Amino acid sequence: MQPITLEIANEEHPLYERVKALGIPANKTEHYRHFAIKPLLSKEYDITIPTVGTPIQGTKLIIENGVVKEYPNGVTLSFIDDFQADSTHYDALYFMSHVLCQNVINIQTKNDITFEIEHHFSDKNRFIPYRIAIQIEANTQVEVFESFHTKGSQESLLLYGVDVYIASESRLNWIRNQNRYLDEAAIVGSHHYHAAEQSSLDLHTFDLGSGNALHIYKIDLDSYASTNASHLLLATQEAHSGNVVYINHNQPHSKSIQESRTILKDGATGIFDGKILINHDAKYSKAKQNSKAILLSKNAHMYTKPQLEIYTDELEASHGSSIGELDEEVLFYICSRGIELEEAKKMLVLAFASILIDTLDNAKYEEIIRMDFELAIKD
Amino acid sequence: MMQIKNIHAKIGDNDILKGVNLTLEAGKVHVIMGPNGAGKSTLTKAIVGHYDVKVTEGEVIYKGKDILKMPPEERALEGIFLSFQNPVEVAGVNNAYFLRTALNAKEKYHNQKETNAAEFLKLMKVHVEQLGMNTDMIARGLNDGFSGGEKKRNEILQMEILQPDVIILDEIDSGLDIDALKAVSEGINRMKDGKKTFLVITHYRRILDYIHPDYIHVLQDGKIVKTGGPELVDILESQGYHALQKDT
Ligand SMILES: Nc1ncnc2c1ncn2[C@@H]1O[C@H](COP(=O)(O)OP(=O)(O)OP(=O)(O)O)[C@@H](O)[C@H]1O
Ligand SMILES: [Mg+2]
Repeated sequence: MQPITLEIANEEHPLYERVKALGIPANKTEHYRHFAIKPLLSKEYDITIPTVGTPIQGTKLIIENGVVKEYPNGVTLSFIDDFQADSTHYDALYFMSHVLCQNVINIQTKNDITFEIEHHFSDKNRFIPYRIAIQIEANTQVEVFESFHTKGSQESLLLYGVDVYIASESRLNWIRNQNRYLDEAAIVGSHHYHAAEQSSLDLHTFDLGSGNALHIYKIDLDSYASTNASHLLLATQEAHSGNVVYINHNQPHSKSIQESRTILKDGATGIFDGKILINHDAKYSKAKQNSKAILLSKNAHMYTKPQLEIYTDELEASHGSSIGELDEEVLFYICSRGIELEEAKKMLVLAFASILIDTLDNAKYEEIIRMDFELAIKD
Repeated sequence: MMQIKNIHAKIGDNDILKGVNLTLEAGKVHVIMGPNGAGKSTLTKAIVGHYDVKVTEGEVIYKGKDILKMPPEERALEGIFLSFQNPVEVAGVNNAYFLRTALNAKEKYHNQKETNAAEFLKLMKVHVEQLGMNTDMIARGLNDGFSGGEKKRNEILQMEILQPDVIILDEIDSGLDIDALKAVSEGINRMKDGKKTFLVITHYRRILDYIHPDYIHVLQDGKIVKTGGPELVDILESQGYHALQKDT
């Protein structure tokens, strides 16, 4: 049993120096500041480095405690021990997970495909690091629905991440649905998505419940690439939960739209740290970012940090953020028709969230997420 | 049916209602007229329990109970309905879903069988057509982007579906075009069953020609200063509220 420090990393690994340079995150590390990372990393864990198993072909990518059990038909699966990670990532745990993970689970798609990724994690006091890489073939459409099944994993930490490369003119629609409770493993996901020329990434994330989780994204956009990112966060009880999303416009005519909606109950802490960087070469790019949060309790805290960093003149960019409570006048109107206050609040919260749930363009996943949302809000 | 007794009320630190007494009779149409700022909307808000209005004295007796002690939703469930002067917009809450939730809440409260989605849609369609509303209003957000007149029709739709017993209409006629005024008035007339009571606030006689009031009350400076029959409207229209003030 030991805590997560540099000592557990292999010094020989080519990315070790990156971890060292950035430093293991502490309470003062900018994008971990409100997540309470320190107590999480300093717990004593049973550290398990996943091995390569004997996966069977099926319909989903199923990962149990870091080991691939099943992978979808229509993709090529391999394990890579010298994966070329993104050396310009800003997150230390991105590198740390690469250093710790000896075999990156690598998926190569060929044609249009829809598949689910299920993370299963059931042990107590365990730390498991693993990474998934996905290469999307040019000119294809891929849809991924990612979910977490972590019952029984209290006091554990799951450190994982995806490295996704979307080849030119492809479209990836990624839905991450995370609905968890306080007594389940904390999750830190540190990701990199690279959208090549004229490709697009739809990234829709749903973080619901009382569990602790932080997802850190770096999204790189080449010319004419676009991303449409939405983040719905519903944090309850004492949860610390959020998203850190840096979108880099690297080349001309790239486009990003980002919308974050957060609902905080009880003593929950929500984080939305979104930085859009428009590089010198990214002329004629468009970026739009918006964050809205509703606090349902006086003890809830929202930390929003929307940032635009611009190094070119020819562009369109806007951002905005708001934090508020439910509109009293609207609540009164609903109650004046005989609906109880609690029900009225639920209605408004659902309406606020629906805008991000109803636009997934997939009735099945919309239904799953709506049900998870309604369960989580009752918690 | 409802006795409003000596109501004094404040908004913030301002005394707005200064002893309103009014008895609403079953099966009758009561009209309140009065100058802008007299406290008409404040009175309606006091009856339904709006948080802005602080009642400092008096009571409102309905079914033998002082309703001022009830939360707003209970007053509604007991049969009191206010059509707001300015209904709010609620984006993202589907109009039909909202109204069915309200109807089911009322049915549950009265131990009645709850109207299911299919039955409700049928019911709503009938009323929407009767009111000459666009059918796409069913699927839109509650009052979301509705025009002034559309909002008023939607209030009447709610009234017809919820079938309240005490119906308070605050300037339901303002901003309505000729057809809408007729449709809304017909909606009100359909509700008359000899038992329900109506409290209609208006500045104009147009609607009164349709709904045939029994009593006209004049509210001025936080008090009912005069009560009469429909003929009072003529006097007010020719002489204004000013004359009345001298009169009392
Ligand atoms: N929220 C509020 N804050 C402060 N003052 C208010 C508020 N609401 C109403 N008032 C004041 O209370 C008084 C009575 O307002 P009320 O809306 O009841 O008038 P009304 O008789 O309905 O007038 P109108 O015919 O213009 O609708 C007015 O002087 C108004 O300015
Ligand atoms: Mg008024």
